[in-house]
Amino acid sequence: MIAELPFTVAAVVLAGFMFVSVLRLAIGPTAADRAVALDTVNTLVVTTMVLLGAGLGQVVLVDVAIVYALLSFVSTLYIARYLEGGWG
Amino acid sequence: MTALAILQVLLLVLLVVCGVLAVRLKDLLGSVIALAAGSLLLSLQFFLLQAPDVAIAEAGIGAALTTALFVLAIRKTRRKEEE
Repeated sequence: MIAELPFTVAAVVLAGFMFVSVLRLAIGPTAADRAVALDTVNTLVVTTMVLLGAGLGQVVLVDVAIVYALLSFVSTLYIARYLEGGWG
Repeated sequence: MTALAILQVLLLVLLVVCGVLAVRLKDLLGSVIALAAGSLLLSLQFFLLQAPDVAIAEAGIGAALTTALFVLAIRKTRRKEEE
């Protein structure tokens, strides 16, 4: 059994990073800034899920993080496609 | 107050901020992005409440499908909201 406290403290620190990213999402002048902020929040959420899955000792929670990392790519792809204005 | 409780409170505050942004922004693409970020944070909240299957469903529908559909709808219509 791994000690739980360091993982949860690291997750709280990552939530602080999420706060800064959401601030950029709020004040970002262009849509590209907001898209990058969304992608940063995405990565931080996946990292927090893996950290908590390891810290709480539940392997099934890591599977959620894997599914999430696969699916969250789609939204970023569609926003980037719109900003590029290309095919479709 | 444990560290997990602090994490949950921080996530809920961020969720409220994202919801207000999704309503108030005039740029509809920014509004959709704020909605996607809120959906992400809601999924993490489900994850913290020990409901991983709900978190997977929220990830699939909220983050991926809804954002793609809204962006396709914005492509067919106007991006800026009128006053």
